[in-house]
Amino acid sequence: MKIKAQISMVMNLDKCIGCHTCSITCKNVWTNREGAEYMYFNNVETKPGIGYPKRWEDQDKWQGGWELKNGKLRLRSGAKLTRMAKLFYHPNQPELDDYYEPWTYDYETLINSKRKNHQPIARPRSLITQQRMEIKWGPNWEDDLADGQSARQDVNLRNMGSDIALEFHDLFMKYLPRVCNHCLNPACVAACPSGAIYKREEDGVVLVSQDGCRGWRHCIPACPYKKVYFNWKTNKAEKCIFCFPRLENGLPTVCADTCVGRLRYMGVLLYDMDKVKEAAATPDKGQIYHSVLDIIMDPHDPEVLAAARKEGIPENWLKAAQDSPVYKLVKEWQVALPLHAEYRTLPMVWYVPPLSPITRRAEADVYLPEATDMRIPLAYLAELFGAGNTQVVARALQRLLDMRLVMRAQTTGDRLPARLEFDVETYQAMHRLMGIAKYKDRFRIPAGLQETSQEKLHELQGTCGYTCPGGC
Amino acid sequence: MNTFIYGVLPYIALTIMVGGTIIRYAYGERGWTTKSSEFLSKQDLKWGSYLFHGGLFMAVGGHFVGILVPKFVTEAAGTGEHAYHMIALAGGIPAAILFLGGFLMLLKRRFAGSARMAANTSSIDKWLYLVLLLTIVSGTAATIQNIPGAFDYRETISPWFRSLLMLQPDVSLMDGVPKVFQFHMFLWMVLAITFPFTRLVHCLSLPFEYFFRRDIIYRKK
Repeated sequence: MKIKAQISMVMNLDKCIGCHTCSITCKNVWTNREGAEYMYFNNVETKPGIGYPKRWEDQDKWQGGWELKNGKLRLRSGAKLTRMAKLFYHPNQPELDDYYEPWTYDYETLINSKRKNHQPIARPRSLITQQRMEIKWGPNWEDDLADGQSARQDVNLRNMGSDIALEFHDLFMKYLPRVCNHCLNPACVAACPSGAIYKREEDGVVLVSQDGCRGWRHCIPACPYKKVYFNWKTNKAEKCIFCFPRLENGLPTVCADTCVGRLRYMGVLLYDMDKVKEAAATPDKGQIYHSVLDIIMDPHDPEVLAAARKEGIPENWLKAAQDSPVYKLVKEWQVALPLHAEYRTLPMVWYVPPLSPITRRAEADVYLPEATDMRIPLAYLAELFGAGNTQVVARALQRLLDMRLVMRAQTTGDRLPARLEFDVETYQAMHRLMGIAKYKDRFRIPAGLQETSQEKLHELQGTCGYTCPGGC
Repeated sequence: MNTFIYGVLPYIALTIMVGGTIIRYAYGERGWTTKSSEFLSKQDLKWGSYLFHGGLFMAVGGHFVGILVPKFVTEAAGTGEHAYHMIALAGGIPAAILFLGGFLMLLKRRFAGSARMAANTSSIDKWLYLVLLLTIVSGTAATIQNIPGAFDYRETISPWFRSLLMLQPDVSLMDGVPKVFQFHMFLWMVLAITFPFTRLVHCLSLPFEYFFRRDIIYRKK
C-alpha cells in the first residue's frame, strides 16, 4: 500500500444553472493572453450537444484515453513506436476550427465613424489573422440547445443505441461544467514524448512544464476530455492548473470559489498508488467506477494513516482528508460519479448527477418521482457518468430523492419510506453539505505548502501561472 | 578569400552553432519548441511534412557516409569508384526528390496557404526558409550536375571537411571544386550560423528517452 494525496473536486450538477461564471472568472485569470484566447480551462456545455471542442467525446475520431488490448492497458493512440511516426504530422490533433476562431470587434468604428444615416456597427475581426471574419461557431454555440441540430449529434446519444426523442414535449437538457480532471492515470502524461507533463507529488495536480514542453502535441489528442490546449503563440501545450497558487494558500480554485450555485466542492482524497494501474485495467468498463472507489482509502483507518505518514504526507493533510467533503460525496454516500470512466484515466473531478422534471407519461399525481421517471433518460446519464451502467446513476439519484423525502417529512410530519438506505442523521448531513452548502463546508484545502502570499496571486494575474510573476 | 571561407568561416559557423545552441538551451528553454503549425492549418501539412522529413533523414544519412567514411575504407570493402557513385546516385536522387518536393509543399503552404499561417511565421522563419531553399536546391543541383561523375567529392570536399574536424584545415583541397558545390559549402555554414536562432533546434529534441521512461510521471517541487 503506497498512499498518495490528491486534491479532488465534486460538482453537484443538480444545482448548476449554466451561468458560465466559472468560465469567465477562470478566463480572466488564466487565459486572457495572446495564443490562449481560444482556450477555456473551464467551460460549461449544454448536454445533449457536441461540446467544446466539437465532438470531444468521439474517441473513434481522436483516439483519446486508454484501451485494453489483450487485457493490457495501453494508450488508445497506439504503441510508442507507432506514435513516434506522428511527430511530424498528428492525424488526430484537433485544429483551431474544432474549437472556434477567436475574435474581437472593431469597437473604434463606433466612436470614429462619420455622421451617417445608419448607426455604425462594430464588425468582428479575427484574433489570429487580424482580418474581418464571419462568426460561424463559438465556445458555447449550443447554449441551452440553441443550435438545434448539433444536440442530435451528441456522441452519447449514438452510444445509447435507442431512439431518444428530441421532440419538444420530451425535451431535456442539463449543464456540464468541465475542467481538467487531474486524473490518477492521465493519458496526456503517458503520451508526452518529452516527459514534460507530470503529476505533482504532493497534491496530484497535473501540470505541463513550459520549459520541458517541445510542442510534439501528443498530449492534446491523448486527453479524452480535450483539456490540454496548444498555444499557437508560444507553441507549447497548456492546461488547467487547478489554480495551484491558490491551493497552496488553502484557497479553492477560482471556478469553485466564484460558483454562484455553490455546487463545487474541493478536498483531499487518499488513494493507493500501487493499485491505480490495476483499477484502470478493470475488464468491465461499467465496473471501473467501483474499482476506483476501492483504491480511495478511508482516512480514518489507522492502517491507512500509518501508511500515509510513512509516505511523508503532513498531518494537516491527513486532517483535511478526514474532513474532506469530497470523500463524503464520493465514497461515503457515493452520490458523485466520474465523467466517462470508460476512458480509463480515473478522473478526479466527480459529478453528482442532476435530478430533472418528471416525464409526461409519469406526470399523473406523483410529488416525488422515482429516479426512472426523470425527464433526462437514465441511459443518457449512464453514458456520461456510469460508463453505460445505469445502476450506479439510478442509485445516486435515488439517494438525492431520499434526502428530499426525509427533509420534507421533517416539516410535513409525513411517515418516512421504509426502504431508506441511510439513517436520518446521514440525510441531514447530506442536506447540510449539498443543500445549504456553506463555504467552509464545501472547501477543505490544507494550506502552507509554499510560502506564497496573497499579494503574489494578484501579481500572477494575466500571466500563465507556471513561473514567477512577470514570467512567460 | 578561400582561406577565409574554407579555413576560418567553418569554425566561426560551427562555434556559433554549438555555442549558441548551448546558450539557448541554458537560458531560453522556454522558447525551445518544434513551433508546430498543425493547429493552424492541418490538411496541407501531412504530405509536405512527411516527404520533407523523410527526405531529410535520407539526405543526412547520405552526407554522413559520403563525408565521414574515407574512400579507402569503401574501396577496401570492395566498392569501386564507379559502383560507389551509382549507389550514391540511387540513394541521393530519390532523397533529393523527396526532400526538395516536401520542402516546396511546405513553402507553398506557409506563404501561399492559409492566412492563419502568418501567426506562425516570424521574420527569422522567412530567412530560414530562404537559406533552406538555397541549400536544398544547390545540393540537388550539385547531385544532378555530377551525374556523369566527372567530379569526385570524395577526393576533395570530404577530406577537407575531415581536415576541419582534425583542426588542421587543408584549404588547398577545395581548389577547383565546381561552383555549385562551393555554393553548397557556403550555404551550410550560413545554415549553421542561423541554426540556434531558429526552430531547427527541435531536431536535437527527438524524444528517444520516451522509450525508456515509465508512463505516469510524479514530480517533486
